[in-house]
Amino acid sequence: MNAMLRETESTTAPLVASGLVHCYEGSNALNGIDLVLQPGSVLGLIGRNGAGKSTLIRAMLGLLQPLAGSAYVFGEPALKLGDATKARIAYVPQQPEALSWLTAQQMLDFVGRFYPRWDSSFAKHTLERWQIQPNRALAKLSPGERQRVELIRALAAQPELLVLDEPAAALDPVARRELLREIALRAGESGTTVLFSTHIVSDLERVASDVAFLHQGKLLMRCTVDETKERYARLWLPPQASFAAPAQALSRRRHDDGSLSLVVARDAHDQWPEAAGLPSARLDALGLEDLFVEIAE
Amino acid sequence: MDASLLSIQPAASEPIYRQIVEQLRRLIAGGQLTPGESLPSVRDVAGFHAINPMTVSRAYGIAESEGLLERQRGKGMVVSTTRQATQTESHRLALLEPQLQALARHANELELPAERILRRLTKLLGEER
Repeated sequence: MNAMLRETESTTAPLVASGLVHCYEGSNALNGIDLVLQPGSVLGLIGRNGAGKSTLIRAMLGLLQPLAGSAYVFGEPALKLGDATKARIAYVPQQPEALSWLTAQQMLDFVGRFYPRWDSSFAKHTLERWQIQPNRALAKLSPGERQRVELIRALAAQPELLVLDEPAAALDPVARRELLREIALRAGESGTTVLFSTHIVSDLERVASDVAFLHQGKLLMRCTVDETKERYARLWLPPQASFAAPAQALSRRRHDDGSLSLVVARDAHDQWPEAAGLPSARLDALGLEDLFVEIAE
Repeated sequence: MDASLLSIQPAASEPIYRQIVEQLRRLIAGGQLTPGESLPSVRDVAGFHAINPMTVSRAYGIAESEGLLERQRGKGMVVSTTRQATQTESHRLALLEPQLQALARHANELELPAERILRRLTKLLGEER
């Protein structure tokens, strides 16, 4: 049954990772990652620097060969993607380097030919709005400008799968909002599937339908953004009540005064753990950023 | 109604779809939105606030099932004309429930007697009128 499920997932889902493991010089970058992206979903990947976000993205797209496990893009093995499948994907790395001898305009004209749904007027207008000099060689642009050009390329291609590695880093607040708007509307209207990594949690809360927490090469949590806010909370217990702490908790921290903070989840019947009902207990709702900080410590 | 009438706080611990439903409920209860008035399209709200259109659809769907909104042919979503879901006194009281519960919790934490709080609250309510 499980094998059959995996079979259908890998033939229909835009992105599938199964048991991905990777190391750099002996330290574990990916520690057995399973992840499926459904069509039309917007998955935000959060993690601290060095958590393995870029490695995971590159392995899922077949840009690096993992030590173990496999990845599929629209049902094709990621390491052997055909041209037709590649034309359905657009990926923007954190530090783009390709075609740096061309000007922004030349590069966009060139790569546009490979994408069947290329939107050249979007490319032209966004270059202006995002203040890129079209006739300057890419190599002479700042890293931020360079990444903006790549974002324009990725969006103008109107891909079915859009993968962005830390796209916010290169953008000022106005351009960032504009990018988020593009992501949100394309996912909602054209059914574009989006995977983006970020450490700006509020960006993710705006547009993402799903969130995955990556920490030390492992996925700590994978659920919808609404669920993270409705299913999890911080439970605080004073010292004299800390014996009642539930055994199941996502994180557990004892303070100097003996009181206890736990991140707890609702059970299958939507109930909080019993200790939350104690008169001295306090249950606080958590935003996504607090939740991440609590469980990633 | 204009999409800018909604205020979205992505970092709040309340999910965005619930922020929208809650604000619609208040705007309708408070009379800022009148029966039959058109709501901005899902696309307008999602575009203005740069949020996922599915979140807006979900909020509209819930507001519709609660009788706050109704779907009208050719006009999209409008404020409900058939049932004034939020106009009865008990409905309006229900809107205050979260604040009342928070107040009760704080009062208990501070170990304040109920009479003193009620006296103060009665005074405040009198001043507002």
